[in-house]
Amino acid sequence: MSLRWMGRTMLPVLGVGVLLWPALPANAAPRHFEKHFTVQGKPVVVIQNIGNGRIEVKSWRNAEVVLTGTQASNKISVDSEQVGDRIDVSSNLIDPTAQPTEMEANFQLTVPEETELQLKTQTGLIYVEQVIGDMTLESVAGDVHLKAVNGYIIVTTKSGSLVCTSCAGKLNFNSISGNAQLLQPALSNVNLFTTSGNILFDGDFVRTGLYTMNSGKGVVEVRFSSNDSFDLNARTATGTVDNQAADFIKPDSHGIKHLANKYTKGFFGTIGQGLAKVELSSYSGTIRLLRRD
Amino acid sequence: MPSPLQCHDVLEAIELHDLSPLPEPVRDHLSDCLECQGIVADFECILSTAHELPAEAEPPARVWLSLRAQLVAEGVIREDAIRATIPAENPVVRASWWHGFSALLHGRVVAIAAVGVLLFTAAVFEVRRNSVLPVHPAITSPAVAQKSNPTQFPTELQVPAQPQPTAAQVLRDSGATLRSQERELHTAQTAGTLPTSPVDDSLQQDLVTLDAFIADCEQHVQANPEDQLARQYLAAAYQQKAQLLAEMLDRGRSVN
Repeated sequence: MSLRWMGRTMLPVLGVGVLLWPALPANAAPRHFEKHFTVQGKPVVVIQNIGNGRIEVKSWRNAEVVLTGTQASNKISVDSEQVGDRIDVSSNLIDPTAQPTEMEANFQLTVPEETELQLKTQTGLIYVEQVIGDMTLESVAGDVHLKAVNGYIIVTTKSGSLVCTSCAGKLNFNSISGNAQLLQPALSNVNLFTTSGNILFDGDFVRTGLYTMNSGKGVVEVRFSSNDSFDLNARTATGTVDNQAADFIKPDSHGIKHLANKYTKGFFGTIGQGLAKVELSSYSGTIRLLRRD
Repeated sequence: MPSPLQCHDVLEAIELHDLSPLPEPVRDHLSDCLECQGIVADFECILSTAHELPAEAEPPARVWLSLRAQLVAEGVIREDAIRATIPAENPVVRASWWHGFSALLHGRVVAIAAVGVLLFTAAVFEVRRNSVLPVHPAITSPAVAQKSNPTQFPTELQVPAQPQPTAAQVLRDSGATLRSQERELHTAQTAGTLPTSPVDDSLQQDLVTLDAFIADCEQHVQANPEDQLARQYLAAAYQQKAQLLAEMLDRGRSVN
């Protein structure tokens, strides 16, 4: 293969490539962005992602919020503003002809440990780790994973599931078909509702805590330890109750008159002194009670 | 030189008589006092702007539906009580008491205040529901936890359930209205030409899930209108469906 032959064959190809270079779509490759925001106290960060994409939040000890990420195309823009300690980030549609894949934006956020969050995305994962502060997390079909967070946490999804590991504070979860898993929680107030998803609570109940877990069609499973102390109220309309810890549950002795209802089945009981209050219900699913130890 | 009437007297007069017609002494004062002329001009400007605002701030039907379903499920409102205030000879009005109620909300202030009160009421009863939920389950000892046998309960604790067929009826109405909104949504979607995204598909799947659950619940509530737990789940499903339809409509609007 001679140099002349290569020149004859490759040069036209390269020439055409050079000529067509400006005509290639500018949005072919994802664009990276990075922004830094210096904050004074406890920042409030709001991310509103109109498209799909992942939002990942981690903390550090610096008084600075760092936002990095990628956007799939130039048909959306990622805009941000800072007013004092409030930081607003949003992805906005520039070109209405954008396809769903072109509207994707992923965000990585590094925030001070004490930060309030308000995050919304469509299908990507929302992941928050080691953040202390109230947070409102909203996703249509994306999952929400929380690890070692503390605050008043509100999670709303349509079909996305929640996995909350070592979470503290208060948690409110509402979903149509998403599952909720609470692992090693230190939550003092829990309110979970899913229409067709499953609920798993595996951990300790904080004394004086209030826990309400409701699933329309799914399984509500609670795994408690023999050291726990709570009053339990479990009931279902057409589902079943699978009590695998009957030996540890004493009859409720706190003097509240529980009224009978022929339409629901379930039971009241007390574990330990009954210091916390646990209410479980399912319309047609299964309520399962297990002892971990 | 201004007339003997003082500026604060003019403000009081405006408060008492509105802007027109102002009493003669006030008009005399106004003719001499530039400051009061400015105040009156400001008031007139505010009034004319206010008149240009829309006459009503009607909240979306799904807001009413959601609130109504919640309140009915709680037994806070009952259709029979509402019907009692409506003349029986007017079946049209009887059939749509909620529209009659919302028709009362003509003024902007009244409408906004009423929505605020209802939202507050709903929030209060949402909190209350959480505490009420455990009140009615069957009592069994742990040993018989997996069985439902009301005959084992102490007689003095047995309270006959209050029949609330009208509440079930109201829930059915809510369901029918939601189905109607769903049909409108389908019509809008059919008219649209944009491709659907995975999010749209997911929302559609959620709608199917909710509809199946609602159908199951409705059937059960129809057969057992006094089943409070089932009513609560049905009301919650209606609320979720109202929110889901709103989300789908919003997405359609924002995309189009």
